[in-house]
Amino acid sequence: MKKKITQSKFYFFGIILLIMAGILPAAAQVNDEQKADTLTPAVEQVKSDLTVLKRLKISGYIQAQWQKAEQAGIPSFAGGNFTADVDNRFSVRRGRVKFTYDNDWSQYVLQLDVTERGVAIKDAYASFTDPWTKYFTLTGGVFNRPFGYEIVYSSSIRESPERSRFVQTLFPGERDLGAKLTIQPPKTSKYNFISLDLALINGTGNTAVDFDKYKDFIGRLAIVKSNKKENIKYGVGVSYYYGGWKQATKFNYSMKDVTLKEGGTMKAFVVDSAGSAIGDMLKREYFGVDAQFAFDFPFGMTQIRGEFIMGTQPGTSSTTTSATAQPTQNPSVPYATTAIYDTTGAITGYTTVANAAVSSDAYRRKLDGFYFYLVQNIFQTRHQFIFKYDWYDPNTDVSGNDIGANAKSLPKGAKPTSSTDIKYSTIGIGWAFRWNSNVKLTAYYDIVKNESTSAITNKSPLKDFAGDIKDNVFTLRLQYKF
Amino acid sequence: MKKIIIALSVIAFAVPALVQAQRVVCKIKGSDTCLPLSQKEAEVYMQKNPGSSISVVGGGSGVGLAALLSGTTDIAQSSRKMKLDEKIKLQDAGKAFKEVIIAYDALAVVVNPANKVNQLTREQLEDIFTGKVTNWKEVGGDDMKIIAYSRESSSGTFEFFKEHVLNKKNFATTALLMPATGAIVQSVSQTAGAIGYIGLAYINKDVKALKVSYDQGKTYVAPAVETAKNKTYPITRPLYYYYLTSIEKTVKPYVDFILSADGQKIVHEEGYVPIK
Repeated sequence: MKKKITQSKFYFFGIILLIMAGILPAAAQVNDEQKADTLTPAVEQVKSDLTVLKRLKISGYIQAQWQKAEQAGIPSFAGGNFTADVDNRFSVRRGRVKFTYDNDWSQYVLQLDVTERGVAIKDAYASFTDPWTKYFTLTGGVFNRPFGYEIVYSSSIRESPERSRFVQTLFPGERDLGAKLTIQPPKTSKYNFISLDLALINGTGNTAVDFDKYKDFIGRLAIVKSNKKENIKYGVGVSYYYGGWKQATKFNYSMKDVTLKEGGTMKAFVVDSAGSAIGDMLKREYFGVDAQFAFDFPFGMTQIRGEFIMGTQPGTSSTTTSATAQPTQNPSVPYATTAIYDTTGAITGYTTVANAAVSSDAYRRKLDGFYFYLVQNIFQTRHQFIFKYDWYDPNTDVSGNDIGANAKSLPKGAKPTSSTDIKYSTIGIGWAFRWNSNVKLTAYYDIVKNESTSAITNKSPLKDFAGDIKDNVFTLRLQYKF
Repeated sequence: MKKIIIALSVIAFAVPALVQAQRVVCKIKGSDTCLPLSQKEAEVYMQKNPGSSISVVGGGSGVGLAALLSGTTDIAQSSRKMKLDEKIKLQDAGKAFKEVIIAYDALAVVVNPANKVNQLTREQLEDIFTGKVTNWKEVGGDDMKIIAYSRESSSGTFEFFKEHVLNKKNFATTALLMPATGAIVQSVSQTAGAIGYIGLAYINKDVKALKVSYDQGKTYVAPAVETAKNKTYPITRPLYYYYLTSIEKTVKPYVDFILSADGQKIVHEEGYVPIK
């Protein structure tokens, strides 16, 4: 039986071989003729499709992290406040996916942030470069505000897990809606190292709808150069911001010297209640200067960055964060009864509706902020040491024990400062391990120091500013970038 | 007898292993200036070391260095030094690299052989390539429009020429940007009023290399291996190989070969300047 099978197999393969010997060359000849006809257009089609595909670039990164706070429920700029009873947490800090379509002189960008908190638009803009001089690029949509250096420095390559406190406070979310003109000579030019950005934006931040007629202006002039040996690179920039938001109430507070009832003087908020200012723009104005240096030393590359900002910020009694909507206070009565009228004006019934929020009074403060980075690569290894120092002083007119002091001694029309006016400084110390182009592991510790004042004491350890609040945060982050 | 058998066994295993150690499989990408040299070196190396496979492509120094960062090449060949920005990007990717000078090159300014101009000063070259001078009669030639050819901005040769010949000034907007050195040679050979700049190794009978003066016309020097070697020709530059230290073992036998006497002999034969 076995032998029969073997024989039949032999005959079967023999026949197949004979058929192949006769048919294949003929088939190959036919195929060659067909190939001659179809290969070139097919390759052209593939090349054409590839050209289109190459214009679309998809990139992104995900930052998964674990954080440990010094105590539960602390307010924090290291990725947001910790909720009550929580002193450690896992989170996806950023989950970005970016689509960029380059079409010669135009570019279209859409970037989304996908995390456990939901999906948000980060970038959505189109930019056009003039094809003649190649000096001018016009951008419209949602894009990074061109103020300073840290705002536009991508979170995927930034060494510290978060931006500085003053950046997060004054430019929350970094982006805004508007239009921007960039003037920069093309790469072939001798003056390519100079760039000028001029932007007109809503001033409300990110994708928030504007709530007033006032638009904000940002200008930044910067240079970036390297030396001939390509072992030193430096950059310097100056920035200016001018804008503001509509004043909704007639009460407008600013810092002035007042005479205390008990005698003596001090700085306090003094109200301007003339009322003529309702609807006027509350000025928001910053001046900034930034500098960056990179040195390629034999013991590893060193990078130093610094940025200083000063100016005026309109806020409320409880916050100096830039407004994303008309600042309001919680209404004391959340619901009100309202009459329903017919076309003749007669009352036909009553309904209960949510009470309109009460507009907040405006508080104007002078501020300053600063950060300094020292990033040291350990020789040519994958290890990197990070040191960062930053401060944000939301009210430069008052400091120390004067904050919140003499509340009962102030004259009529004056209000004391509060915890909103306290200066914070943060020392960040970290280590980064770059496993490869995709994966980075960062361990980072934020030591947060608040300005202490004996005038604001509280039994709650989170609100007692007589000393330093225990609000340091450790972050362990794993980033995957593609 | 036992010892002899052991010794023979060791030799039997060790010899193939030693041969195997010279086997190199790698990709080289980047500078068009380096291209003919790398191709020749790779060809000779592969003949001497069977089993090796070295593929060489051009594209420009910038393209090669970007490929090194993205991991799509093993060696980036470059006619300029790696920029600090590129070093920072490599550092951010956790990649350490090695820089090796493999040869020197003289940058030749070439015209069509029919052009009667034989020499130019640096200032005249600057005026021609920035568009200030547009007719050959302004520099001692016939009444003929000048057509300037340049490499694209991703080319290291472009950057070198801009910095050392144009004194960092912009190329004229009328200058025609070519994707490869070979394209410049071809265009100059076919266009009567053309002028371009190429690596020394690309000079052939279809183009004429000009003598150049860097002392405002006192002395003119022709581009050649000898003048580059004795440093009388003013437009010379080093040529580099860059590779990641993580793959050093893989590429080092080939890099060592280029730096060896045999490799440097090829450097000379191919029209480049040896490093020693």
